[in-house]
Amino acid sequence: MCGGCRGLQRNTPQAVRDSSDLTAVTAAGPLRPGGHTLAAWDYRRPGTLVPLGPSPGEPLFAGSAPGPSPRPLGPLVPWKMERMVVRMQDPDQGVRTRSQRLLITVIPHAVTGSDVVEWLVRKLCISEEEALHLGSLLAQHGYIYPLREPRSLALRPDETPYRFQTPYFWTSTLWPAAELDYAIYLTKKNIQRQGALVTHEKEHYDQLHKKINHTWDLVVMQAREQLRAAKQRRKGDRLVIACQEQTYWLVNRPPPGVPNVLEQGPERGSNNANQVQMSLDFYKREIEWSRKALGRTRVKSSICLEAFLTFSHQRGPHDPILAGCLPSNPWVTDDDAYWAMNAPTVAMPTKLRVERWGFSFRELLDDPMGRAHFMDFLQKEFSAENLSFWEACEELRFGGQAQIPTLVDTVYQQFLAPGAAHWVNIDSRTMERTLEGLHQPHRYVLDDAQLHIYMLMKKDSYPRFMKSDMYQGLLAEAVIPLETKRRVFPFMRKPRLSSPSPALPPTSGEPSAAGSAAGGDEES
Amino acid sequence: MAREECKAMLDALNKTTACYHHLVLTVGGSADSQNLREELQKTRQKARELAVTTGARLTVALRNRGLAAEDRAEFERLWVAFSGCLDILEADMQRALALGAAFPLHTPLRPLVRTGVTGDSSRVAARALSARSLSHQAERDFDVSDLKELEREVLQVGEMINDMEMKVNVPRWTVQAQQTAGAELLSSNSMGASSVGAVSVEEPSRSCNPSKALAATLFSAVLLAAVALALSVVKL
Repeated sequence: MCGGCRGLQRNTPQAVRDSSDLTAVTAAGPLRPGGHTLAAWDYRRPGTLVPLGPSPGEPLFAGSAPGPSPRPLGPLVPWKMERMVVRMQDPDQGVRTRSQRLLITVIPHAVTGSDVVEWLVRKLCISEEEALHLGSLLAQHGYIYPLREPRSLALRPDETPYRFQTPYFWTSTLWPAAELDYAIYLTKKNIQRQGALVTHEKEHYDQLHKKINHTWDLVVMQAREQLRAAKQRRKGDRLVIACQEQTYWLVNRPPPGVPNVLEQGPERGSNNANQVQMSLDFYKREIEWSRKALGRTRVKSSICLEAFLTFSHQRGPHDPILAGCLPSNPWVTDDDAYWAMNAPTVAMPTKLRVERWGFSFRELLDDPMGRAHFMDFLQKEFSAENLSFWEACEELRFGGQAQIPTLVDTVYQQFLAPGAAHWVNIDSRTMERTLEGLHQPHRYVLDDAQLHIYMLMKKDSYPRFMKSDMYQGLLAEAVIPLETKRRVFPFMRKPRLSSPSPALPPTSGEPSAAGSAAGGDEES
Repeated sequence: MAREECKAMLDALNKTTACYHHLVLTVGGSADSQNLREELQKTRQKARELAVTTGARLTVALRNRGLAAEDRAEFERLWVAFSGCLDILEADMQRALALGAAFPLHTPLRPLVRTGVTGDSSRVAARALSARSLSHQAERDFDVSDLKELEREVLQVGEMINDMEMKVNVPRWTVQAQQTAGAELLSSNSMGASSVGAVSVEEPSRSCNPSKALAATLFSAVLLAAVALALSVVKL
């Protein structure tokens, strides 16, 4: 994190960043030598408590103790690789090292690729292929780096020399590489190479210069000083340290085209906060859940799909996007005749609409025009009270809470009382239950009765309506809107009215005229 | 002038932080030793002292209400650099703590990583402490006692940063750095010439060769021309 961000973070009051909290933690845990002692907030990952000071022999990073520190699970975790690298360092059991001889300087501790592979095969008792794979993973994560071609982090099982990375630069999830550090590194490289940076590094340099411009003074100062400090060392050491840093940044800021090994996919990397304990309770719950899942009703996919096919086939011509809408698509031609014709209540319904009433009873009832015509039909058949009762029940279900008692009373008086004006024919059992429920009226007290009447209408009146002369007459009269003629001269388009801005109060007359003039002038 | 003083102190702090960073790089590697730990301790103590004094000065300067606008801008720039420097120092101290605890020197439980760095780092520490040279011998169990102190110091530095942020409010987005992109190249001619040898590739011979080869060819061409002239004179 750049210094600026951390500064801002510090300005916000964070309860746990009080010094008092930290001193409490220090006081609690006595500073035992070499034990898990102090825990402090890791600023770069707010919300994590990191034990500072793992005991020797334990993995360095990513907290070995199960606790608040998030421990990334997965086959490739840094601490596993660290452990392996540390084992390799054993003077007796570790990997054999040679010396690297440059022109004048001799640098020790070089290992060959074949040595590494052979050690892995011997120590872990694995096949050579697997050892090669493990070794190349180590190289990709930057734990060993090649000496001849420092830019390609790959392990070759031959005499190519490698060297181990210093623990400071080990891939650790606790300290992600900061932008300030990268800026300092690039500036150092700029100084050394006299401005000849690689393309992607140059881009990063420019980006960083814009991003952390406020600390650029510090970047330049630190870069110069770090180079001067490095000059106080022997030449061999200087080379080694420079190589180490280069490898670190190759891993953390890979050049374009090289996959970033530190990236973890969306599935990986997220540690399940509630680590499930594999206990008896857990398994009991799993068994119960599975049993319930078995008992759920299922429909065969063949049946579902058939139903879906028939639905699509039936509805296809009615879909305005799939089958085109007549007279014309308002969004395309700015002509809202389509909406005018398909308004909820209109004198002449379109043919498609009337056809839809025949699909199901629900369709008919949902359409206000359909419902009105159905009501007319029922009145002719002297069974209009069914539909009225159904409508009253709908109103009860979806109406306001305060109106429920009065509404229930009205419904009772009109439809359910023995000598009511519009008495509905409900079977005795449902009637008994409803009348009992009316003593404590609530929203759904008339549900049973409503369902009974609905099924009655659906099975009895609806088919008759479909076959009736009234419906057939409607179907014959229904209008099929004509498609608007495509204008031959496209520039003689209807002038577009500028839509009124919702912020302004609607004014008539002048703005629309001005808008139409403007619309006619511009030919977009 | 207060500004020059602050700048000088900030430069000193910057130098110490850079040296400390360089020393922490080698902890856990093959150059790790009790001497190194002691050098680290001395360097960070110096850094902390510098930080305290610089912080005090800058705080006093910035809390002074009657400061001219450009003076204020200058001090804010110094402040931003100072707090960034402190952040780097703190991060390095934390890493030194973790690494020092993970690679204890007194027990052979965990061998040091063979990184290839074998030289002495006393000259780096001497530079950090602005001393000519540094000769010392640390005790055997220095690192153990040092770790506890380091823990405390890390907390102290954190508290110091917190305090300073509370006292002085410098919004980072208003600060404009003086250095432009590539400013480091302008005054680094002396560094560039000497650091050609420190180019970070493992083939230093190749990088030296072109210049040397060019010089050699020029010299030989001049020599040949001289010989040819002499021969022609002799023939005449």
